[in-house]
Amino acid sequence: MRRRSGPIALVAATAALALLPLLRPPAFYESFLYLTFLWIALATSWNILSGYSGYFSFGHGAFYGAGVYTTAALAARFEVPFVWTLPAAGLVAALLGFAVGAVVFRVRRLRGELFALLTLAVTFVLATVVLNTPIDGGPGVFLSGVAVPKVYGTTASTIYLFGLGAAAAAVAAAWAVQHSRLGLALFAISDDEDAAQVMGVPAYRAKLAALCISCFLAGVAGGIHALFVTYVTVAETFSITVPLFVILMSVVGGARHWLGPTLGAVFITALTYAFVGGEWAVPGRAVIGLILILVILFLPHGAMGFAARRAHRRPPRLVAASAGANPRRLAVGSGPRDAVLLRCNDVHLTFRGVRALAGVNLDVRAGEILGLVGPNGSGKSTLVNTISGYYRPDTGRILLGQTDLAATAAHRIAHLGVARTFQIPRPFPRLTVLDNVAVAALFGGGRLDWVAAQREARYWLDFVGLAKHALAPPLELNLHQRKFLELARALASVPQLVLLDEVLSGLTPAEVTNALALIREINARGATIVFIEHNMRAVLALTHRLVVLNHGQVIAEGAPHSVVRQPAVVTAYLGTAHA
Amino acid sequence: MPSATLLAQSLLSGIFIGGLYGLMGLGLSLFWRYLRLINLAHFALAFLAAYLTYQFVGVLGWHPVVAIIAIVPAFFVIGAAIQALFLRFAISEFASLLVTFGMTVIVESLIQWYWTADFRRLELGHDGGSLRVGPLFVPVTEALLLVVTTVVCAATWAWLHFTYAGKALRASAEDRDIAAAFGVDHRRLALVLAGACVAYAALAGAFFALIFTLTPAQIFAWMGVIFAVVILGGLGNPLGVLAAGLAIGVSEALTMAVTAPTWAPLVSFSLLILVLVLRPSRL
Amino acid sequence: MLEVQKIDVAYGDAPALWDVSLVVGRGELVAVVGPNGAGKTTLVNAIAQLLPIRGGRLRLDGSDVTGIGARDLCQRGVALVPEGRRLFASMTVEENLELGCYRREARRFHDESLARVYGLFPILRERRRQPAGTLSGGQQQMVSIGRALMARPRLLLIDEPSLGLAPSVTQQVFDVIRAIHGEGVSILLIEQNAAQALALAERAYVLEGGRVAADGPTVELLAQPHIRIAYLGEDVDAPPAASR
Repeated sequence: MRRRSGPIALVAATAALALLPLLRPPAFYESFLYLTFLWIALATSWNILSGYSGYFSFGHGAFYGAGVYTTAALAARFEVPFVWTLPAAGLVAALLGFAVGAVVFRVRRLRGELFALLTLAVTFVLATVVLNTPIDGGPGVFLSGVAVPKVYGTTASTIYLFGLGAAAAAVAAAWAVQHSRLGLALFAISDDEDAAQVMGVPAYRAKLAALCISCFLAGVAGGIHALFVTYVTVAETFSITVPLFVILMSVVGGARHWLGPTLGAVFITALTYAFVGGEWAVPGRAVIGLILILVILFLPHGAMGFAARRAHRRPPRLVAASAGANPRRLAVGSGPRDAVLLRCNDVHLTFRGVRALAGVNLDVRAGEILGLVGPNGSGKSTLVNTISGYYRPDTGRILLGQTDLAATAAHRIAHLGVARTFQIPRPFPRLTVLDNVAVAALFGGGRLDWVAAQREARYWLDFVGLAKHALAPPLELNLHQRKFLELARALASVPQLVLLDEVLSGLTPAEVTNALALIREINARGATIVFIEHNMRAVLALTHRLVVLNHGQVIAEGAPHSVVRQPAVVTAYLGTAHA
Repeated sequence: MPSATLLAQSLLSGIFIGGLYGLMGLGLSLFWRYLRLINLAHFALAFLAAYLTYQFVGVLGWHPVVAIIAIVPAFFVIGAAIQALFLRFAISEFASLLVTFGMTVIVESLIQWYWTADFRRLELGHDGGSLRVGPLFVPVTEALLLVVTTVVCAATWAWLHFTYAGKALRASAEDRDIAAAFGVDHRRLALVLAGACVAYAALAGAFFALIFTLTPAQIFAWMGVIFAVVILGGLGNPLGVLAAGLAIGVSEALTMAVTAPTWAPLVSFSLLILVLVLRPSRL
Repeated sequence: MLEVQKIDVAYGDAPALWDVSLVVGRGELVAVVGPNGAGKTTLVNAIAQLLPIRGGRLRLDGSDVTGIGARDLCQRGVALVPEGRRLFASMTVEENLELGCYRREARRFHDESLARVYGLFPILRERRRQPAGTLSGGQQQMVSIGRALMARPRLLLIDEPSLGLAPSVTQQVFDVIRAIHGEGVSILLIEQNAAQALALAERAYVLEGGRVAADGPTVELLAQPHIRIAYLGEDVDAPPAASR
C-alpha cells in the first residue's frame, strides 16, 4: 500500500509553487493561489477526521476560528512574533478539539447527523463567547500593525508561502494518515464502527487522534488567514462559509482519499473566482449548489472515488504466493489442552423486557470444538455477543484466564485473543478483501506491525481459498465467500478462542462439507472453537462436546450423541403437546 | 437590574418570537422524524415565501391574507415535489443533509439575485398596530402569529393522533414493511406530509415578512436556533416544538434584557449541546 | 384457498427456499414446522409479499397473486402476525390495533372488531393506552394477533407465535389460535414448537434446509422419524450410533 509516487509528486509540486513568486506574477495570481492553498488546508484537515471516519463535522469553523483569534490576540495584543503565533494557534484549536471529542466520542448514540449538529452548535457557542469577551469584544481585531518577515521582498509573498506550507502539511498529513494504521482504523470505523471495535480497533482513541490532527491544521490555517485579511471579525470568521465549503469540497473531490479535498478545493475556488465579478457572483453560487446536488446524486464518492472505481475494473494484480509453506500455529502457548479457557459464571442479560440470558454457566476447554445449540430465541447469539463485548451483561462474570470479559471493553477483548464471526457477514464494504483481513491482523490479538499484518492477511486469505479476490471489494463475493472472509478475519487476529456464529447457514451441502473440513483444520492448529449452529447434523459430525441452551439457560451438556437424546433437549426442540 | 415592566415586555416579546420559532421548527421536525430526512432547504423556502410576501404585499399592494392564500398552497406543491425527488433517488438521511444544503444555496442565490442583499421591510399601514394591556404593548400581528402557531401545532398533533392517516404515518415511520402489510401507502402519505411541512415553512416565512426586516443572510443565521428548537422539542412532536420554541424565545429574551443582546445565542446552543450529549435517545 | 406452487426464494444471492409447494384449504389450520434455519420465516415473508419470489407462483382463491405487493394482499383479506411481533412500539396498544383495520373494508367494523379483540384478550383493554413496547412478550403477542384480527382476514399467517415466550404463556397463545380457527378463519401456522403445532393442525409440512422434507396429516407425521431427524440431526428414538 505504500506507494511512493504520491509523496514525491507532492514534494515536487510544493517546491515548484514555492519558487513561483520569483517569477513576479501579477498580484492577482498570488492572491488566488493563496486562497486555493487556504481551502486545500481547510478541506484536507476536515477530511482527515470527517471524510475518513464518516463523522461529518459541521464545526470546522470553530477550530479555524480558534486559530484565527489566537493569532489575532497574540500578535496584535501581545505583540508575539507572527511566526510563533502559528503553532500556538494550532495548539489552541487542537485543545479545543480534544475537549469536544473527549466528551462527544464517549456518547455511543451520537453518530451521523447528531454529531454534525453538535459541532455546529459548538461553533455558535464559541462565536458568542469570542464576541462578548475581550478576545474580540465586538469591533474586531486589527492586525495591520503586525510585523511580518518579508521573504522575496513582500509581505504578500510571505503569506503566500505560509499558505503553501499549510496546504502541503495538511496534504502530507492526510497521505500519512491514510496509509497508516490510524487510517485503516478510521475507514473501518466509517464502514461499521461496532464490527471494528469487536475486531480490536480502539475507536475512541482513533477518532480523538484524527480530530486533534484535523483541528491543529485548521488552527494553523486560521492563524495564517488572520494575517492575510488583517482585520478579523466574529461575523466573518464564524460564518457558515467555512464549515459548508469544506464539506462541499471534500465531497466533490472524494472524501476517502487524501487528494480528494485538494481537487475539490481547486475546482470550487476556481469556480468562485470565475464568478467573482459583478452580476455573475450570485448565480455562480447557485451553480455551486447545483453541483453539490448532482455530485451527491450521481457521484456520491466524489471525483477520486469515481476514479478509484474505474481503476479497479482492471483485473487485479496476482497476489504474491503466500509466505512460506509452514502451517501457522494458532494460540501458541495457551496452556495445556482441556484446561478451562473460558468460564461463564451466572451470566444474566435482559433487554427490552426479554430475559435473553437467565443465568448461564458454562466452561470452554482449551483445544476443543464446543457446540452451542438451542432453539430459536434461546440466547445463543446473545451469549456470543456478550462474550465478545458487543453487549455487557447485567450480572455475572466471564473469565478468560484471570480477566473478566464482562468488565472489559470490546476492543480489549479482541486484544486478548477472542475472535468472532457474524451470523450475517459484516465485511467493511469500502475496504478491499485483503484490507478487511488486515484490520483484524493489525488490531486483533496478534497486534502485528504493518508488514507482518499484510503477510498474515494474505496467508489466511489463501487458507480459506480467497487469495485471488484479495483486491476485490467484499460486495463482489457471494455469500459462501463472504462467510469465509469472516473466517479469515477471525483467524488473522491470531486468536485463542474463535466464536463461529452460524457460519453454515445458507450454504449448500457441498459448501457445508468444505466448511467443516476447514474448521477441523483450524482446530488442529490449536484454536479453541465455539460453534453455534442450527444444522444439527453438522454439529453432531464436528463437535467434541455439546451445550444446549433454552430460554437463556444451559439445560444439557456433554457428549453430542447422548446430549441430543436427553428428554429435556428433545422437549426443548420439539416442544410438548398439551391436551 | 431592569424594571418589572421591562422584564414583562421582554417576556412577552420572547413568547412571540418563540411562537415564530415553533412554527418554523414544526415542518423541519416532522420531516425529520416521519420521513427520516433532514430538509435544510426548509429555511431557504421559508425565506423565499417571506420575500414573496414582501413582493405581493409591499410591492404589488395585495392584502396580506390574500398573499398567504396564494403562497402557502404553492409551497405545498413544492414540498411534495422535493419528497418525490428524494423517493426517486432513494436518498439516505445523511445525504439529504447535503442535497438540501445544495438546494438552500440555489434558492438563496436566486433570492439575492432578484431582491439583492439590501434590507427589505414591509411598511404596513393598518395591521402594524399594538394593543395596550396594562403597561404592556401587545403587537397585533405577533399576537396573531402566536395564535396561528398554537392552532397549527395543536391541529397537527390531533391529526397525528386521532386520524387514520396520521396514525398510519407514524406506524409507517416506525416499520414501513409491516405498515404496508396492513394496507398503508407510505408514498402517498409521505408526499402529503412533505407538502404540509413546506407549507408550514411558507406560513412562517410569510409572518416573518410581516414582522421583521429581510436579508438573505438570515437564512443561515436562523438554522442554528431552529435546530435547537427542533431537537429540544423532541423530533416529530408538534406540541414539544411549540414548547421548545417558547422556552428558547423566552430565555433568549430574558438573557437579552438582563445582559447584552449578543449573549442570547449562548442559551439555545448550550441547551442543545447539553441535550445532545446527555439524552441522545431523544431522537 | 392459498396455493404455493414450487417457489424459490433467495436473500440476495443466498438461496433460502427451493421448490416449495403447499396448500391451505378454506377453513383449514395448516402447520409448517422445522428447525431453525429451515426457511419457515422466509416462506411466510414470501407469501406475505415482504420478500420477492424468484420462481414459481402464488395463488389466492385461484387467482395469481405473485408479486402483487403487501398492500394489495392485505386488501384481499390476508393478515400477518409477524415473527417477533413487530408492533409499532412507540404507539399505544389501541393504536396498534386500529392500524390493523386500516384497510377500507375493515374500517367499517372498527368498533365490533375492537370489542371482539378485547373479549379474547381482556388484559389488553386494561393496557390500551400504554405504549406497546412496554408490554411483556406474551402480551405483545396478543396485540400482534389482535392487530391481525382487526383486519377481518379470511386467511391468517402466523409466524412463530411462541418465539421468546415462557411456556405457560405459549399455552395461552395456542388456545387463542385454536379459538380463532374455531370461528372459521383459515390459518397457516409457522412454528418451531412442533408438538404444539401438530396438536392444533390437521395437516402439516416439515421444512428442512429450504425444502419440504415431509407433509401430510399430522397423525401420520408424528409416527415418522422425519421431524426428529430434522430437528435433532438423527432419529433420537432409535438406538444411539456407536460413539466417535
